[in-house]
This record gives sequence, structure tokens and C-alpha cells, in this order.
Amino acid sequence: MKGPTQTEIEESLTCQCGCGLTVHSCNHLQCPSAIPLKAEIAEHLAAGQARPEILAGFASTYGEKILSAPTTTGFNVVAWVMPFLAVFVATILVVAFVVRWRGHAVPAAATPQGEDDGPTAARRARLQAELDRFDG
Amino acid sequence: MIELGSLALQLALLTAVYGIVVAIVGSIRQRADMVRSGRHAAYAVHGLVVLAAIALWRALLTHDFSLEYVASYASSTLALPYTIAAFWGGQAGSLLFWVLILMTMSSIAHLQNRERNAALMPYVTATLLVIAAFFLALLVFITDPFARLPVPASEGADLNPLLQNYWMMIHPPSLYLGFVGCAIPFAFAVAALASGRLSDVWIRTTRRWTLFAWFFLTVGNVLGGRWAYEELGWGGYWAWDPVENAAIMPWFTCTAFLHSVMIQEKKNMLKMWNMVLVLLTFTLTIFGTFLTRSGIVSSVHSFTQSGLGPFFVGFLIMVIVTCAALIAWRRPLLRSENDIDSFLSREGAFLFNNLLLVGLAFATFWGTIFPVLSEAVRGIKITVGPPFFNKVNAPLGLALLFMTGVGPVIAWRRASARNLRRSFLWPLTLGFATGVVIFALGYRHYYAVVCFSLATFVLATIVMEFYRGTRARQSLMHESPAMALANLVGKNRRRYGGYVVHIGIVMIAVGMAASSAFRIEVQETIERGQAFEAGPYTLTYAGLKNTDSPHVASMLAEVQVTRNGQPVTTLYPEKRFYKRQQQPTTEVALRSTLRDDLYVVLGNYDAESGLVTLLVFVSPLVAWLWIGALVMALGTVIVMSPTAAEQRALAAALAVEERGLEGAARVVR
Repeated sequence: MKGPTQTEIEESLTCQCGCGLTVHSCNHLQCPSAIPLKAEIAEHLAAGQARPEILAGFASTYGEKILSAPTTTGFNVVAWVMPFLAVFVATILVVAFVVRWRGHAVPAAATPQGEDDGPTAARRARLQAELDRFDG
Repeated sequence: MIELGSLALQLALLTAVYGIVVAIVGSIRQRADMVRSGRHAAYAVHGLVVLAAIALWRALLTHDFSLEYVASYASSTLALPYTIAAFWGGQAGSLLFWVLILMTMSSIAHLQNRERNAALMPYVTATLLVIAAFFLALLVFITDPFARLPVPASEGADLNPLLQNYWMMIHPPSLYLGFVGCAIPFAFAVAALASGRLSDVWIRTTRRWTLFAWFFLTVGNVLGGRWAYEELGWGGYWAWDPVENAAIMPWFTCTAFLHSVMIQEKKNMLKMWNMVLVLLTFTLTIFGTFLTRSGIVSSVHSFTQSGLGPFFVGFLIMVIVTCAALIAWRRPLLRSENDIDSFLSREGAFLFNNLLLVGLAFATFWGTIFPVLSEAVRGIKITVGPPFFNKVNAPLGLALLFMTGVGPVIAWRRASARNLRRSFLWPLTLGFATGVVIFALGYRHYYAVVCFSLATFVLATIVMEFYRGTRARQSLMHESPAMALANLVGKNRRRYGGYVVHIGIVMIAVGMAASSAFRIEVQETIERGQAFEAGPYTLTYAGLKNTDSPHVASMLAEVQVTRNGQPVTTLYPEKRFYKRQQQPTTEVALRSTLRDDLYVVLGNYDAESGLVTLLVFVSPLVAWLWIGALVMALGTVIVMSPTAAEQRALAAALAVEERGLEGAARVVR
């Protein structure tokens, strides 16, 4: 039975057979890439190597493309940080926008047909009040 | 017939260009005859594309191997359903299929709006014809489905064996319907910007189209997952492959649009944001098509690398620049008429829901293109695979699941402490209790525990909504519980249909979390009569069988399954060998129950020694993923079904706009 470390490392490496999956998930049971890689991982583990050391070894032998996710050093940090940074910045912008927005809304859109908006706005306000009562 | 098909495509391209010009000029010069001519051109393009499609289908069905396309994707022994599906199995055919769907939808949209939206329709016509013209130009000049071989082939190369699966009969058409369906709201959005009619009329007009597109994007993605689950034999259903990512990104933004549009309809807010979302969704469908066909990223799903990439890049740039210019031009008209009173409100919840959905779309986009970016910056190609997407998208997805519970029940404008207590006290308590119980039972997969807690929370909010609504009807209308529930849903289809969709989402989240976190994998090489354990099951290998036909040869392993000593079933995992393509495939044997799936793959077999290698997965609750998708589909159908109130709302919005126009005309006079 494989230890969790073997599985973890298999999941950290991309199979080179073109299946696009990790070494662990490769769907080719006779895969010319996944099978030797799994054996190699087992050898490294048996030799007492730690996960980072093993992954660094694979990256230097096969190139960085064998790792199934970007490393957390150098330019690759951008890959990890950017999605969260984008959501964080967007949250700040939304909050700032809403705070600034309060009280600055246009009473009625200045559409080409906007001249006749008085009654519509009143109806909307009444409808809104009814909706609020219904939903609240 | 082949020449007729080829001619039809060329005429369709010319007619589309003509239609674009007359529709726009007709609208600017207020020439009803020109606008009408543009509309007729759109119908004509549809007719010509249908003719071309019939010609290609006929060539496939009559095995006309003088055509390069037929010789590449069909064979005389290919089964009839797959011969029909070969239409979209290759590059040129799938592009023709795209235009066929687009123009069919265009004709329906034009027929629906013959008597209304007169100011929008010329621009809708022009926009749809621009999209059609782009694809037709590719078909005419770059990848001709009617190209002849110098010497006719005696036999076809056959359809890729991986595509010879019944899910592949419906997965690509579903996804195409979703992708192309996004073009209709996009065309109306462009028309609203171009004409300056930026009230909510275009949104109400396209609401059902957006839901239609979203429905098929959902179904297409789920069917793709089901195909991967059954056909690829790795026990999973989603691998964050670039092409899978291309299909899920527009789903995220379309979902965001479906939510934020409610804010515009109810509060006249987020006009610009909705415009951006609908334009972004369409752009992502084109980006997805580009990814599949450009060869820019490697994918098991992509078509052979072709020269189409630069054309798609050019079209994408044109779409983005045009949309950005239109939005910048109409910015003053896109201002909100109301503001947000509090973040603790439904408007606030929907804003954050949008933020998370667009965040998920961005994270997926970022991971997909990062290898290209890395190569450009560092000159080193890297891989961004499932571990990256799981780590980045899981927290965003869980936050979104939480918002799924909050958004629909929090009060509009400003939630009071009473509203919050009334809506969330019990659901939060139940959710928390679920997490504690699961943790106490010894489960230590934290994402899964949090997911189950949140799923309970969301489900509790929905159940409470149904309960309260049904009780209210029972007391006010004196109806039986069943009648009250039926009327509650029937009279508020949008709201309660939406809750049904959310129940489907919860089921999918639970299915995904359980099957990812608690899956058992066993691989054994055994001989006839030997048995081994996989989770609660005992599997006994009983022998090999083979079958043969002119098209495919199969080797099946007979595997008897028991659970607690009781016979459960006999499974036949299979290896197939497709003779034309000389390619082996794995056919999974599956026993699916609500509790778990037993998934058996036949790996190696040695007929002489009798040894076989079996790979077995026991995936808990995975069936709920597929059931959840069905529930989502049911909910969408409920939401889409027309109501009198909705028709009245659209008629009222149209009347207000028409009256506004008359008012504007009076001012001008």
C-alpha cells in the first residue's frame, strides 16, 4: 500500500504521455511515462529524500513543465498571488465605489426618452416600497 | 450536392456582409425598407447555411470519401449515430455547426421581435451577421468542409474512438447551444448600446435567451464531465484541462449576469456592470473556441493545430475594442438610478456573489494562460494543472456556496437584525452542527467538512423559504400542503425555480467534495478466481471474454462483486481496439448507487498467463453530482417557463420606452 507521500508526489508531477493528467491520475495503465516516474518516486522515497528535494530533482531532470503546479518562487509567485489579489482589489474597489456611490445616484437615467421619466420614477418608488414589504 | 454546399457557404458570406451594411445604414437613415432587407438577409443566410449543412451530412451518410472531411472523420463501418455526430467531430464541420446554430437562433430571435424592439433589431441583425460572417469567412477561405482530396480515398480514417461514446452525441451540441446562445443577449446588448436604448427592455427581452444559454452551458459542462468519467478511465470527471476551462469560464460570468440582472430589473442599478458581464460572457465563448482551435495550449480535447489562431485573435480584439468603445460612448446613460443602502442587503450579497463568480472566471483564465505568459516572460514552459486550480478555486467556490445561502433570503436595501436572525439563525446553527458532527466522526479533510457545513446551511435556508411560503399560502388561501407548495412554485416560478437550481448546486458541491476527498483507489494484478477488497466491496476476477466486429474488437474481464458476502453485481470492464484508427480505448464498468460508485477499469491482460490488472475506484456520493445537474436543469425549466406577470412586465417596459420615445420626439419637434 502506498504511503500518502508517494501519492502526494505523484499528484505534484504531470504525466508526460500527453494525457494532461497528473502522474497519479494518468489513465494509461501501461503508460510509458507514469509507470517509470512512479518507480522513480518510490526509489527517492526509499532513499529517504523529502518531498521538496524529490520535486526539485524531477524539475532539474525533466524541466519545470513536469511539475503539475507552478513553484512558489520567482515569477511563478505571480500565478498564485494574482487571482486572490484580483479578488481582494476588486472587493476594495466595490466597497469604495458603493460608499462613494451612496447619495450620488442619478435620479433617472438621462436616456433619450428621459424627458418623460417623472411618473415612471414615482411608480418605481411605489413598486420598490411594495417589493420591500413583500421581501423583507 | 457538394458544389451546392460550397456555393451556399460563399453566398451566405456575401449575403451576411450585405445584411450588415443595409441593417446599419437602414437604422441610421431610418429606412424601414433597408432594415427589412437586412432582416431578410439574415433569414437568407440561415437558409444557405442549412443547405450547406445538409450537403455535409449527406456526404457523411453516403460515405463520400472524395471529401477530405468525410475521409478524415468517418468510415464505412462507423455506426449511424456517430456518422451523424462526425459533423461536429472535426474542425471545419464544428465551425459549420456553430454557424448553423447561430443562424437558427438568429431566425427565432428575428421572428420573436418582428413587431417589437424596432429600434434595437437592425443592430441585432448586424451584430449576429458580423459573427456569422466571421465564421463563414473561416469556412470559405481557411478551413473548407467541402474540400476535395486530389485522389478519393477508398475508406475513411474513422471518428476518433474517444468520441464514439453516446455522451459525445449530446455533449458538444449542448455546449455549442450554450456558447452560441450567449450571442443573442450579446447582440441585444450591443444593439442597446448602439441605439442608446438602455432601459431594461433589452434585458427583459433576452432574459429567456440568457437562461437558455446558461441551461445548455450547464448541461454541456456536466455532460462533458460525465463523458470524461465514463470514457477516460481515471475515476475523475474534471481535470481543469484548458478546454474544460474554456467551457466553464463563460458559465461563471453568465451566472454572474443572471444574478446581477435582477438588481437592474428591481433597482435600476448595475447597468454598466451588466453590460460588461454580457459582453465578457460572449468574449469568453469566442476565447474558448480560440483555445480549442489555436494550439496555443495543449489539451486532450483540442482540434489539430490549425492556422485559425490569428483570425480568432483578430476577431477577439475587434469585439473587445468595439464593446469598450460603445460602453465608453454610452457611459452617461449607464449610470444607476438608485444606490446601495447597506452591504447587509440583497444588493450587497449579489455584488459579492458577482465578485466571486468573476473571480473564479479570472482565476481559471489566469491559470489557463499562465503557461503562455511564463514562456513569453521567462522562456520556460510550465504546467498549470489540477493542483493549482483546486487550491485557488476551492476557497472561492466555498465562499460562493456560502453566498448561495445568503443572497436569496437576505432583505433588499438593508437587512435588519430581526431579518438576519429570522433568516439565518437556524441555518447557521445546522450548518455548524453538521461540521462538528462530521469532524467528530473522524473526517479530517477540511475543505470537505466546510463544504458539507455550508451545503447544510444553504439547504436549510431554502427549506425554510419553501416551508414559510407554503405555510403562508395554507393559512391565507386555505390550501392543502401539496396544493400550497405547487401554487407557491407555480406563481413565483422565477424565485422558487431559482431555489431549485440552488438545491442542485448543493447536491453537486456535496458530490464533488465527497468523491474528491474520500475516494478509495485500489490496483491489483490477479489471476482467474482470485479476489481482492476495494472499500466495502470484494471483487473476484472470473475470466476474460472477447468479441469481434468489422469495426471494433473487445476484450472484457468478468468481475463478480460482493458486499458483506452478498452478491451485488457482475461487471465487465473492457478494452476496445478500433480497427480503422488502430487505437485502443478503455471502457469503464460502473455500478452506481446513491451511496457510492464502484468504478472498474481493465488495465493489462495477458491471455497466456491469465493475469489481469484491475484498477478500482470507490467514489462516495458521486451520483449526487449527476442528480444535482438534473435538479439544476429542472429548476432552470421552472424559471424559464413563461408567466403572465413577466409578459406584462415586458409589455409595460416596452410601452414606457415607446412613450418615452414619443415624448422625446415631441421635444425634438
